[in-house]
Amino acid sequence: MLALVAAHLALAGLLPLLSARSHRAAFLVGALLPAGALVWGLANAARALGDGVTETTSWAPALGLSFSFRLDALGLVMLVLVAGLGALILAYSAWYFGPDSPEAARSAALLLAFAGAMLGLVLADDLLTLYVFWELTSIASFLLVGQGGEDRASRRAAVQALLVTVFGGLAMLLGFVLLGEAAGTYRISELLAEPPRGPMVGAALVLVLIGAFTKSAQLPFHPWLPAAMVAPTPVSAYLHAASMVQAGVYLVARLSPAFAGLALWWVPVVVAGLGTMLVGGWHALHETDLKRLLAFGTVSQLGFLMVLFGGGGRFGDVTALAGMAMLLAHGLFKASLFLVVGILDKRAGGRDVRELSGVGRALPGLAVMSVLATASMAGLPPLLGFVGKEAAFEAFLDGGGTPGLLIALGLLAGSVLTVAYSARFLWGAFASKPGVAAAQPQRPEAGLTVPAWLPALGGLALGLAYPLVDTLARGYAAAYPPTGAEYHLALWHGPGLPLLFSALAVALGAGLHRLREPVTAMHRRLRTPVSAQRAYELTVAGVERVAVLVTGRIQVGSLPTYLAVILTAVLLLPGTALVLGTTLPDEQVLYHAPMQVPLGVFVLIAALGLVRARRRFTAVLLVGVIGYGIGGLFVVDGAPDLALAQFLVETLTLVVFVLVLRRLPAHFREARSPRRVALPKALIAIAGGAMVASSAVVVSGARQQAVSDVSREYIRLAPEGAGAYNVVNAILVDFRALDTVGEITVLLIAAAGTASLVLATRYDRHRAERVISGSGGPEHEEEVLG
Amino acid sequence: MSTLVTLPVLLPMLGAGLTVITSRSATLQRLIGIAVLIAVAVLAAVLLVAADRTGPIVAEMGGWAAPVGIALVADRLAALLLLVSTLVTLAVLVYSIDQRVADYGRETPSTTFHPMYLLLCTGVSLAYLTGDLFTLFVAFEIMLSASYVLITRRTSASRIRSGMTYVTVSLTSSLLFLTMVALVYAATGTVNLADLAAQVGELPDGLRTVLALLVVVVFGIKAAVVPLHFWLPDSYPNAPSPVTALFAGLLTKVGLYALLRTQTLVFPQDGSKTLLLWLAVATMVVGALGALAQNDLNRLLSFLLVSHIGYMLFGIAVFDVAGIAGTVLYIVHHITVQATLFLVSGLITRRTGTVSIDRMGGLAKTAPALAVLFAVPALTLAGIPPTSGFVAKLALLQAGAGSGVATAAVAGVVVASSLLTLYAMARVWVRVFWGTPQPPLSDPDPTDELVVGTGSTPRPMVAAAGSLAAVSVAIAVAAGPLSAVTGRAAEDLLDRGPYRTAVLGEEAR
Repeated sequence: MLALVAAHLALAGLLPLLSARSHRAAFLVGALLPAGALVWGLANAARALGDGVTETTSWAPALGLSFSFRLDALGLVMLVLVAGLGALILAYSAWYFGPDSPEAARSAALLLAFAGAMLGLVLADDLLTLYVFWELTSIASFLLVGQGGEDRASRRAAVQALLVTVFGGLAMLLGFVLLGEAAGTYRISELLAEPPRGPMVGAALVLVLIGAFTKSAQLPFHPWLPAAMVAPTPVSAYLHAASMVQAGVYLVARLSPAFAGLALWWVPVVVAGLGTMLVGGWHALHETDLKRLLAFGTVSQLGFLMVLFGGGGRFGDVTALAGMAMLLAHGLFKASLFLVVGILDKRAGGRDVRELSGVGRALPGLAVMSVLATASMAGLPPLLGFVGKEAAFEAFLDGGGTPGLLIALGLLAGSVLTVAYSARFLWGAFASKPGVAAAQPQRPEAGLTVPAWLPALGGLALGLAYPLVDTLARGYAAAYPPTGAEYHLALWHGPGLPLLFSALAVALGAGLHRLREPVTAMHRRLRTPVSAQRAYELTVAGVERVAVLVTGRIQVGSLPTYLAVILTAVLLLPGTALVLGTTLPDEQVLYHAPMQVPLGVFVLIAALGLVRARRRFTAVLLVGVIGYGIGGLFVVDGAPDLALAQFLVETLTLVVFVLVLRRLPAHFREARSPRRVALPKALIAIAGGAMVASSAVVVSGARQQAVSDVSREYIRLAPEGAGAYNVVNAILVDFRALDTVGEITVLLIAAAGTASLVLATRYDRHRAERVISGSGGPEHEEEVLG
Repeated sequence: MSTLVTLPVLLPMLGAGLTVITSRSATLQRLIGIAVLIAVAVLAAVLLVAADRTGPIVAEMGGWAAPVGIALVADRLAALLLLVSTLVTLAVLVYSIDQRVADYGRETPSTTFHPMYLLLCTGVSLAYLTGDLFTLFVAFEIMLSASYVLITRRTSASRIRSGMTYVTVSLTSSLLFLTMVALVYAATGTVNLADLAAQVGELPDGLRTVLALLVVVVFGIKAAVVPLHFWLPDSYPNAPSPVTALFAGLLTKVGLYALLRTQTLVFPQDGSKTLLLWLAVATMVVGALGALAQNDLNRLLSFLLVSHIGYMLFGIAVFDVAGIAGTVLYIVHHITVQATLFLVSGLITRRTGTVSIDRMGGLAKTAPALAVLFAVPALTLAGIPPTSGFVAKLALLQAGAGSGVATAAVAGVVVASSLLTLYAMARVWVRVFWGTPQPPLSDPDPTDELVVGTGSTPRPMVAAAGSLAAVSVAIAVAAGPLSAVTGRAAEDLLDRGPYRTAVLGEEAR
């Protein structure tokens, strides 16, 4: 199965080469692979309904990462949708995109890559494998919605789709990891066999549901889906109706057998699903753009599916049977309807219900096909949608108690809306409207109509061949607790509440369509201040505002501030630990030799003077004084060689400084800092010094041996091993010679760096017209240094 | 075998000397640089295999056994990071050679660039390999002083000024580093890391905390941990892109490596877990928010760099095998991807003449190769599967999820800042690659070395950046063996036994 997925991705990489010659050929070649996948899936259907077909390829075992796949009943249904509709939509695209379409080459490759990722997603038997493909579909969706990103609407829609779905995806990833850590495995089949429990699992499930809700556009994350309708119609049909957006539902369906018994799982799913079904249906009633109408319809149907799959543990296996039938039905009718909209858009000049008129008369074939698909959507017999809806009502009405009845009533209301917007779709697309000029559509070629006909006919065929669907659905529903009486998907169960509900839905829905004008007027008056789209925009804008605010406060661009923060960090972290956690050694002497006192005072005074100095020359001199004072301390401590080195360095530095000073202004140019700045600076500096000094005292007091083992070894080894009687020398040039080499290197680097700066600057001054610049191109440097 | 440990330090140093001598011949200079780095990469690979098979390999410098002499130690961690770093330095070197050839022709030599570049590599190698705290200081000094020259070299006055921030902050942190070494030596009488592992353990708790926290601050500055990160976004973006790529890829990671090494070997979790967790959270959040507030592509990438330092700090804070292994894996991934992004940013700037993403547009149409070259590392950095970023992030998430509620909550922050990273990258994509193509802007400062606004992208530079992107793809493909090695490296780090025995002999057990 990995090979199948990889083949999609690999061919997608090659398709642009083919597209350069012929877009149509690229789409058709691309369509072959999903078609092959479909054939493979159907050939393995028997095994899938039995033990399932499994395959595992290891990736990073230490992290539990592998590509594990499993084809079972649920996987097979999704595969039929993903691969079957994928092949049809790719073939349709071959005629949809014109020969000069700039979007064709990109879309061909991305659609095929998406098909591969989607295939991986629905076949995954491992949470992490599933996540890998999940995010790939989000990225593909971003690129397909945005296309070339030429207009603002598509850019915004693409970013919104990306942010919302990846937000959910990342939450889901964390949920998966928590789940995997709790269970000790990421294999879905093992998780289902032995579901983990515990407080972490609760958090994990909530996170996973966020992922499912965002992907399947559930309340309150749904606005990205209608916004994504700016994409080319084949993209909308495939990603945003038939496959990707079903992924969230699929995930819930996948995990429900293990967790549907937990209220934490089924209650949010059912509540969000019902809410989404109603809100989506309500909005669909008022859209004038046929694509957006269908998009809200999709939102609504996804809510319906959520209810069916989420309720499985609580309300028994019939919900699962209904869910499987509806999953299949929805993919088929929705793909067909989107393809119809694409044809209208291309051949009838638009998709706005206010502008389309008389299309039904001009293109009766298309109208018949649309009636077939919408009938399935509205739940009319003998189509698959009817079979599913009957089972859904049955599931919640039979033995569901009060919650079941409430859910069934909710579903009834949702179904009424569904029937109403189905009618609106047909009316909007095909009716002859008074006052609107009749469209003069071109005849669509078979390449466009055949891919639309097939799923519509599929809905009819599967409705009639309901035992087949029943077998398939049963393969999945077996994982749930059985309800009392055995139920089979069928077209006729005899009169009863479910049939009454179905009939009511159709009757009320038709009535609602008839009353469309007053209803739309009411909708307009009901403009709620709270909208999910607005919430999304506010969140994004809010994050950006916070980002600017925080960054502006923190990144002030002032070097003194940065240094102050560093010193403060030293004071706050090790400084606090020093004050709270350590004590000064008991025997503390202020000085070892009397000479240390005047020398110390001398250094301190020089340091204070340095801070106050305004003349560069004074400052340089005082730096020298401090250095000599420290050298003096070395002498007192009995280290004349160190002192000598110190004096030499100080003298040399002083000389160099004086030479440099000739070229600089005599006084520092910066104004004295005001008191409110100077005081904190002084405090931080003094505290920093005090902290380092007291650390030194504490640290020396903590030492266990006066002369450490290493020092003793140095003293022992210096004469006999290194042939040196000066231990310091032996350390510098023998024991730790590498450090010395390193420090010499540093010195050389500093010299080279300074030379390159100074020489380059001098060269610049030479060329008067380039004074501002620090240096020039490499040819200057060569002239200067070479 | 132990001679091999010294070569990654000695070869670049020798190479630096040779490039000074050959500064008249551009071709020779380039060949030396490339040959040296290839050799070091091969050596690092050999060392990695050997260390993985037989344990840490030790070289006693000057024949003096540690702790009297200096020991160079190649364990799994050091060898692995050395290998990845050298691959990056090699790719960046090739890129900058290509850039120079494209702008100034094949014959123009570079007096300071090649020696400084190789010396920087010397410092990096030494930092990874040394088993001695003071030598670590020296390594940082070599690395940083070479970086001072590279960042101020042949550039405009304003850039020198922003280089000053970098130099001053680095010097301050070096001063603190030196103070820390002195305090540690005063307390224990040794600077050998393996020896310190035992000696520090005998110090009173309070004092150990003081030293441990000082180490956190010192290496926190080097690694750009919030709130010690200011200098990075103010200085890195102003250097030429290969230099920025090198710094961003390596220097902060060397700081992080030093923190990881000292936290595991010398101060195993001295009361710093909560602190490190908070620092990790602050770093991730502040960095990611900073990136969202930027319009300058390089600054945006610099803030993302800061943000992702938080990820690696998180793994150290978790401080178990999974956490440390996650951090090591993340370092390996991040060195590569961050360098790639800066190289690509260099290509974009070169083409468009600006770093401001508002003034670009339509590059996906005019330069599709560049779009792919940006998309791959961008998705990698955002941790979108199946890239190396996803694998490394997953390792960290697992560590967080398996180690209690607090770390699981921080894992949530990791995920959130991943989203912000993706958002920042999506914004770049939307503004730079989508929209209407813009004509290239003219070079704002034609006097400096950097040539921008050419409206074209030389193939060799694309190939160099592409090869680095390929390395990061290879990391994802080889995630299996790689995560196994990082797992073993983490076990060693927490165990401390193998390292100490290798350096000090059997009695150290």
